[in-house]
Amino acid sequence: MTDPGAIRARFREHDFIIDDAFATALHLMMALDKPLLLEGPAGVGKTDTAKVLADALGARLIRLQCYEGLDAMTALYEWNYPRQMLRIRMAEGTEASLEQREAQIFSDEFLLRRPLLEAIVQDAAPVLLIDEVDRADEAFEAFLLEVLAEWQVTIPEIGTIRARHAPHVILTSNRTRELSDALRRRCLFFWIPYPTPDEEIAILHARIPQIDRRLAVQIARVVHAFRNLPLQKTPGVAETLDWARALIALHRDHLDWQALEQTLGCVLKVREDQSVLDAARDRLRPIVEDTLKPGGHSLETDFGLGSVSTPRS
Amino acid sequence: MTYPFASLPENLAAFCGALRRDYHFRIGPPELMDAARGLELTDLSSRRAVRDALRTILSKTHDDFVSFDIAFDRFLRGDEATRRTDRRDGLESVAEGSGESEKRSRETRPSTVGGPDEEMAAIEGIHGLVRELDENRESSSATLLRASYSPLEGEGAPLVLEPPTRAWLDAAAAVVRRVHTAASRRWHPALRGPRFDFRRTLRTSLRTAGEPVVPRWRAHPRRRARFVLLIDGSRSMGASSEPLLQLTVALSAVNTSTETFAFSTDLRRITRDVRRAAAGQTVSLELRRAWGGGTTIGRCLKEFLHQFGERLLGPDTVVFIASDGLDVGDTDTLRRAMEQLVRRSTAVIWINPLLHTPGYQPTATGMSVARPHVALLTSVVDAAGLRALAGSLRIT
Repeated sequence: MTDPGAIRARFREHDFIIDDAFATALHLMMALDKPLLLEGPAGVGKTDTAKVLADALGARLIRLQCYEGLDAMTALYEWNYPRQMLRIRMAEGTEASLEQREAQIFSDEFLLRRPLLEAIVQDAAPVLLIDEVDRADEAFEAFLLEVLAEWQVTIPEIGTIRARHAPHVILTSNRTRELSDALRRRCLFFWIPYPTPDEEIAILHARIPQIDRRLAVQIARVVHAFRNLPLQKTPGVAETLDWARALIALHRDHLDWQALEQTLGCVLKVREDQSVLDAARDRLRPIVEDTLKPGGHSLETDFGLGSVSTPRS
Repeated sequence: MTYPFASLPENLAAFCGALRRDYHFRIGPPELMDAARGLELTDLSSRRAVRDALRTILSKTHDDFVSFDIAFDRFLRGDEATRRTDRRDGLESVAEGSGESEKRSRETRPSTVGGPDEEMAAIEGIHGLVRELDENRESSSATLLRASYSPLEGEGAPLVLEPPTRAWLDAAAAVVRRVHTAASRRWHPALRGPRFDFRRTLRTSLRTAGEPVVPRWRAHPRRRARFVLLIDGSRSMGASSEPLLQLTVALSAVNTSTETFAFSTDLRRITRDVRRAAAGQTVSLELRRAWGGGTTIGRCLKEFLHQFGERLLGPDTVVFIASDGLDVGDTDTLRRAMEQLVRRSTAVIWINPLLHTPGYQPTATGMSVARPHVALLTSVVDAAGLRALAGSLRIT
């Protein structure tokens, strides 16, 4: 994948729609060998990007899920303590010296590789996904800086392990806290916004090929309208896809108020948000009803699907 | 697509300088090098491709990402070219005595990013811009037309910080005790704890022939509370600011993770000076527009969030804003800044000295905008008041 166009095409083959700007970001990540920090609202495909990139490259995906309290040992390596204890017991009757015993129990045989070490020792460059890095502590962030800069790890009992091939690193953040400047400066940055209605229609067709064209247009427009409401949990692309699958399971080929109410739980996940929707029902009605006219979305324009912006009189 | 300058390094250096100066991008030599490398991989005839590549490399936050396109379009329109040409006389004086490298950065270079010489020259150009910005910052950044027309605008008054008294120290310690930070989810070695530390016990047992004689434990450490104080030094605060400064110094003395800022129509970090006062010195400061003039609270809070928010705010940070809320700034800016402050900290406590005045209602512009966002609106006029505040405070 030597240019953004090729990346875009390969992602399209994997039913993942990305625009030129995002393809450029991924291209630069690989060309410059720098981590790519992805931020954006929940459910826009930050994590899936790494999965699809790994598939497209034919590389192994190694995932480090971050959480509060995650420490270096959990992310890097641990010793298999129970096995070490057993070995010590078994070696009690031998005449091995203390140094020999220690060399035995702190060998590669007893090393449990965690994601970061696993990414370093691969024969081919893997895709390393460091997911929700904002959930980890600042101390872990500082540790990450060291690993991302050097791609080598020192295990006191074994020595320094250097990566033969630097992994393609994707970090994701939901901005629950601000990441440090130091980490940001070591990364390329890309903000993934919610897709436009047209992009979302393309995503629906790519991921759910059997979806009715009219239904896809309706779903995209209504979800777009939802995103402009003051919701606590704004629906992402994942919710859009779930909603579309739910409507298809109910054998709906178009959206109406009844279907919307039946399947609302696929899109709005917070009780208060459904109240917000109720309050905004009058404002939303023209949007939904507009899509319900015969021909749906195409009635708004002369040539359909928003290709001409002049409304029909 | 046409660029303002003939050579790519010059364009890149000028553009990065504009991003730093006008949009507060954090761009240093490593970013500049990455940008040059990125452009080598990009179709330079495509404006979109150049924009996408530079945006990914030079943006580090969502705010950067949003403002990048505006900056890019503005640069290509030639606004920056004009500015930089105007600034060249100023740069000459900055470059004097700094050797040939500074001059080389302003010479005409080939229009491609070729070898390391061009990249280095571009970096030197950025260094020149940074030095120039540092010199001119005082005169340019404080120009606030609206505040300048305010009747509260003035030349500024000196700020004097006195060492804290015992009563203030005790009251400040009481406040710190009332902030109960949660236990971290990290596990640290401890003398006693709920989790058996297998690894350390095993390592220790090697000294006793593998017999785990001394058990080791792990426990959750407590998080450390941080305080950020933003003290309004506008003229309307008058003598009310004196007890607030006492509070600041006392809090800094009992908690080393305390950061202090003074603001009026400008924001100034005074943490180091406050710490000197906490250590027993009397400190007198000339803060110009950050003390003793008009007030633009929203703009100053926005500036704080932009410059210091990432480092100083977090789930363990308690923010104190000491102000009377008499504001001549934009209310939308203040509201947005307050929303961000609340989102990024544990609690925002507003200390309004006027609350102590009989019949006072907090209906001033700034106060009414900020009030829905504050966890506690209170007044502190002496050490006893601070102790009373501690009594009513419980932050977990």
